[in-house]
Amino acid sequence: MKCGLEIHVQLETDSKLFCTCHTNYQEASPNTNICFVCLNQPGAKPYPPNQKAMEGAIKIALMLGCKISDDVTYFMRKHYNYPDLSSGYQRTSIPIGFEGDLNGIRIREVHIEEDPGQYKPDMGIVDFNRSGIPLIEIVTEPDINSPEEARIFLRELIRVLEYSGNARGEGTMRADVNISLEGGKRVEIKNINSIKGAYKALKFEMVRQKNLIKRGVTIKQETRAFLESQMITVSMRLKEEAEDYRYIPDPDLPPMMAQEDQIQIIKEKMPEPPHIKTQRFVEQYGIEKEHAKVITSELELADAFEEVAKKVNPAFAALWMRDELKRVIYYNKMTFAQSGITSSQITELLKMIENKEITTKAAQRIIEKMPNNPSTPKQIAEELGLIGVIEDEGIIKAVKQVIDDNPKAVDDYKNGKKESLNYLVGQVMRLTRGKAEPAKTVELLKQYI
Amino acid sequence: MNIMNKLESIKNHDLTALENINNYIKIIDKNNSKINAFLDINEEEAIKTAENIDQKIKNGEQTGDLAGLVIAIKSNINVEDFKISAASKTLETYNGSFDATVIQRIKKEDGIIVGMTNMDEFAAGSSTETSYFGQTENPAAPGRIPGGSSGGSAAAIAAKMCDLSLGSDTGGSIRNPASHCGVIGFKPTYGLVSRQGLLDLAMSFDQIGPFANDTSGIALMMDAIAGFDERECTTIEWDVPQFKDINENSQNLLKGIKVGIVEQFMEVSDDHIVNIIEGSIDKMVEMGAELVELSFDHIDLCLPTYYLINYVEFFSATRKYDGRKYGYKIEDVCGEEVLRRIHMGSYISQKEYSGKYYKKALQARSLIRNEMKKLLRDVDVIAGPTVPKLPHKLGKSLDTMDMYAYDVLTVIANLAGIPAASMPSGEVKGIPVGLQIQAKPLEDEKIIHLMKVMESMD
Repeated sequence: MKCGLEIHVQLETDSKLFCTCHTNYQEASPNTNICFVCLNQPGAKPYPPNQKAMEGAIKIALMLGCKISDDVTYFMRKHYNYPDLSSGYQRTSIPIGFEGDLNGIRIREVHIEEDPGQYKPDMGIVDFNRSGIPLIEIVTEPDINSPEEARIFLRELIRVLEYSGNARGEGTMRADVNISLEGGKRVEIKNINSIKGAYKALKFEMVRQKNLIKRGVTIKQETRAFLESQMITVSMRLKEEAEDYRYIPDPDLPPMMAQEDQIQIIKEKMPEPPHIKTQRFVEQYGIEKEHAKVITSELELADAFEEVAKKVNPAFAALWMRDELKRVIYYNKMTFAQSGITSSQITELLKMIENKEITTKAAQRIIEKMPNNPSTPKQIAEELGLIGVIEDEGIIKAVKQVIDDNPKAVDDYKNGKKESLNYLVGQVMRLTRGKAEPAKTVELLKQYI
Repeated sequence: MNIMNKLESIKNHDLTALENINNYIKIIDKNNSKINAFLDINEEEAIKTAENIDQKIKNGEQTGDLAGLVIAIKSNINVEDFKISAASKTLETYNGSFDATVIQRIKKEDGIIVGMTNMDEFAAGSSTETSYFGQTENPAAPGRIPGGSSGGSAAAIAAKMCDLSLGSDTGGSIRNPASHCGVIGFKPTYGLVSRQGLLDLAMSFDQIGPFANDTSGIALMMDAIAGFDERECTTIEWDVPQFKDINENSQNLLKGIKVGIVEQFMEVSDDHIVNIIEGSIDKMVEMGAELVELSFDHIDLCLPTYYLINYVEFFSATRKYDGRKYGYKIEDVCGEEVLRRIHMGSYISQKEYSGKYYKKALQARSLIRNEMKKLLRDVDVIAGPTVPKLPHKLGKSLDTMDMYAYDVLTVIANLAGIPAASMPSGEVKGIPVGLQIQAKPLEDEKIIHLMKVMESMD
């Protein structure tokens, strides 16, 4: 199968694309973030396009490896009749970037659009708070070969958008996917609102079309809608009924020239895209690709890693940041940036382990206390009494005592009950208050039993 | 007393703003039912504004450059709390909720807005006969059309119901009724006056401009409304000249001014109109102007080019009148001409035809624009008739092509984006004939200057 995607995500701006209304449409009461421009009242004309949105779109296009049009950019009017569209047309720019690439999937174009309002048919109302919020649309070539690939691509794309700092996340995503199986025509699926939805829609559609082909039915070109509640697609219209949008250049918005120096400034300020950063981490730090992927999942985390890796063995740092740090921020339901943990705190903690000032077990407890805590790891360790690693003699003493005190567990272990060893390790830890190295403890227990 | 003198008397309190508005209200109350220039009037508010201005003057406070002047606005320009109907049934009950930029500027200069004027429905016409609220009488030639689409604004000036008025000009909608009603109408360079708040006919042609009985009024209004608007993308960032200074300082001479006469503009016009226009041109020569004969080869291209683009842009602009938000769905209640334009626009802009009609029209437009630029390169202004024929009698029905034929000489300025005005040139059996003056983009002041000189000869 071949599949291409058209993904819309809202751009992160304070004001709308063609007026000064605020973009916090979800928090505001219905129809409060509106003015005559975004309502397109008779006589209203768009203000000049929001520069932050235009720059954000250029930045995202660049991060997706696109060429930037050095010709004029202008907006087209795409006409259609729907209650959420206050002017009867949607303003959509010609491509700002084109011929990009994300992990081998070619990006055909990137352009900017305005969001319509929200029609709520069940209540018979339209909320125009969303009307005029800038959207970025990313169109891929049909280079995707499975629902799984589509899911991986979309996750990676959302990561790029998050890195850019100019787009809102998956929550504002709307996607159209097109799919064609060998021997069949192109089918477009609309109304997809999440990565999971895209995956499910493609999966359903693939099976549906395969079954039809098996029965000798030819697949006609058509547009289908994804019903999220049932995870199925239903026909909307055949090709013959395709809408004609009667595109014309918007006479109210004169053509704009992308400025070479403006693009240069964006290029300089632009973060390294995550898919390229992942590759670099593997090469530069010699860490595993899976670790690199997790660490680059968040720009701030990746930046912190690079700081830590200056002073601590990168492989050791990668392992800790991927497993322990991620565990703690995941448990606290926060991002790394929100955790307030700094790279110097991490460096200090890992140094303490490397210098055998604390055990790994103790470090795990310390890191749990680190989110939004101004204390240094050392201070936390002191507070919890975790400083120090008990050397072999101390552990041997504890091991002997535990063996003496727990004859039943020892017997169980001897009789093949491996879990009993864990219990005994736990007892040693209790006695040493966690200052014994777990690996060493296991070794010694086995030796003395 | 010209408008400039009147402004001075109001500021000196020789004449109060209240007296000024009351005089006009008397005339409006007496004659509007017959002329039908106004569709919506707010006398009470106008009187209140006048009293405030008089108070300011009394207190020695600064007042604006339109202080106490009475102004009428075409019904397609947004004014808060007035009916912005565009003379349509679709917007029959629509009240303006914001002020267009030109209105903000007029209010800032202490102009008194008295009411909203009649027009062709959505400005799609050249006679003001297509208004949903009935036709407007031509005060200068009773029994005839006032021209259009800004017929009400021109008639209000001709009938002395106000000092100044605003219209909009897409293919001649200011100059055509100015010509037929014997007043001055001015269409500025495209982008000189903000369209923010102007209801669309064809966005790439539309331009707001003033009507007045003398050039000083045109200059005063232009000073108030012209200039960059950060909220309207097609306005030009430009150091606008003080038009009233040009008006005041015009030495009554045209020495060194080159006036282009385009052969084809004369050829397409009726003989009795050409005779009158030639009289005006003779006067220019008397004042020292130098004539340059010019030839424009694309006159046959102008109307088709103009109307194709007009249809497509109008179709797009009217999609918001879908019956959900404003009174009625436009196609359900509009007149024949509006419906024709919507259907044609929808047809031409279809994907399968866009190359054939719309793109060709845009190409033809560049051709016409370049040709006009070339003609204007060697002259200061081009002078000729505004309209090639006299206004027809009210009630006489014309077929579409005859109706469109009124526009052949006015659409050129809109296609080229250049400034153009119409001023009274003379009369044929009591029916006014307008002289059209066109200039290069952003040389609007040359037109003001020439009109001022011509006016001084009467």
